[in-house]
Amino acid sequence: MGTDLELLTALQRGEQDAWDEAFRRLYPAAFAAARHPLASLTPTEAEDIAIEALTLLLPKVKQVAAFDELRLLVITIASRKAISEKRRQLADKRGGGDITSLDAMQDDETIRFEPAEQLLYHLSGIDLRELGKLLDAALSALEPRQADLVRDFLVHHLPYKELAQKYRMPIGSVGVGLARSLDKIRAHLQAMPKLSKELAAYLR
Amino acid sequence: MDAPTFTDLALRVISREATDDERRAVEAEMASTPARREEFEQLKRTHQLLRTAAPLTEAARATGPELPAWRVNELSTAVRQHFGPAANPKAEAGSTIWAHVLRWVFGGGGLAALTFAIVMMCFANRTVEVGLYSSDLVRGGEQSLSARDVPSARLVWFDEDTSFDQWQNQPLAWNQHAKIWVDNEHDLLYVLRRVRHGQIVMETQPLAPTDAAQREQIKQVVNSLQN
Repeated sequence: MGTDLELLTALQRGEQDAWDEAFRRLYPAAFAAARHPLASLTPTEAEDIAIEALTLLLPKVKQVAAFDELRLLVITIASRKAISEKRRQLADKRGGGDITSLDAMQDDETIRFEPAEQLLYHLSGIDLRELGKLLDAALSALEPRQADLVRDFLVHHLPYKELAQKYRMPIGSVGVGLARSLDKIRAHLQAMPKLSKELAAYLR
Repeated sequence: MDAPTFTDLALRVISREATDDERRAVEAEMASTPARREEFEQLKRTHQLLRTAAPLTEAARATGPELPAWRVNELSTAVRQHFGPAANPKAEAGSTIWAHVLRWVFGGGGLAALTFAIVMMCFANRTVEVGLYSSDLVRGGEQSLSARDVPSARLVWFDEDTSFDQWQNQPLAWNQHAKIWVDNEHDLLYVLRRVRHGQIVMETQPLAPTDAAQREQIKQVVNSLQN
């Protein structure tokens, strides 16, 4: 398959070889999105979600203008489905008479997913691309070790204790460092008032 | 409370890392200074936005894992169901392809390809591999599958999940005909095999209930693959 545009044209015609190639290229992104730390699904569950997300590209392929849009689309679909799946699992657990259901009811985990679900529902591929650029710019402005710490906190959702162990620093310094870095990232976000305002609206 | 201390404590509260004392200190600060509450809300929104979106921006750069071989058929079926067989332009362009093939054959390329294919067929070791856990051999004793049961197949033993998973995920090599493994969790026997035109298909069948019956089942599958 030649250029991305040729690949996209072949996909829109429904050519099997082109779809095989597209699925091969897009699967890693779909799988990574399905393993979103908020959802914390097992690898097997994430694989199922990623495959489902890939099949959901079929009806959307004629609506995109570039192959890369499919990547962003499959990421948003897979992450949304993963978080919905987690929410469903928790709801089943609560309703299923499970012995841990009391804990689950005391700390209503499903409510925690609402802002994320709302945001993912409204997050377009273009928003995601812009946010990616913004984060790259914000993280590259930090000292490398600090950028890695923030990345582990934001991308991999590592708790303070693990961050302190990984970066061999007192747990108190972890919080101070993160707070400072988040302030800097917020300053970058404010440089994109339209995007940050729109997205923040879904988080209220 | 100064601004950096408040931001630090607020982030701890938002990240569910705060102690009860720290939580109370943040509440007290927000009650006495209303501007702090707005600051807290802003920090919370930024935190939620970034913790939701940052993993996705990272996902866009992911390069692994590879698409598992046994899911390819499922996806191909979805493509066929969505676009229908008529949508495949290869079928429409059949006559053109045929003319091209004829030209190629008469041009001499076909002869070279044919020779190459014959050589490959002669050398191809059409292996059937059967993947098993080493622990099954110990647990199953006399009942477990051995090389004597399937002399034409190659038994591959695994001690841990990771290497077994890797073996299962690996596509068939050019010289491999099939591989078989047992999924005890779902009571299924998996058969990944090559069919006509080099296409690879994944099939499952319900697993026989006992070790002895499973041994017979695998023997039958291996025999059918060799015929």
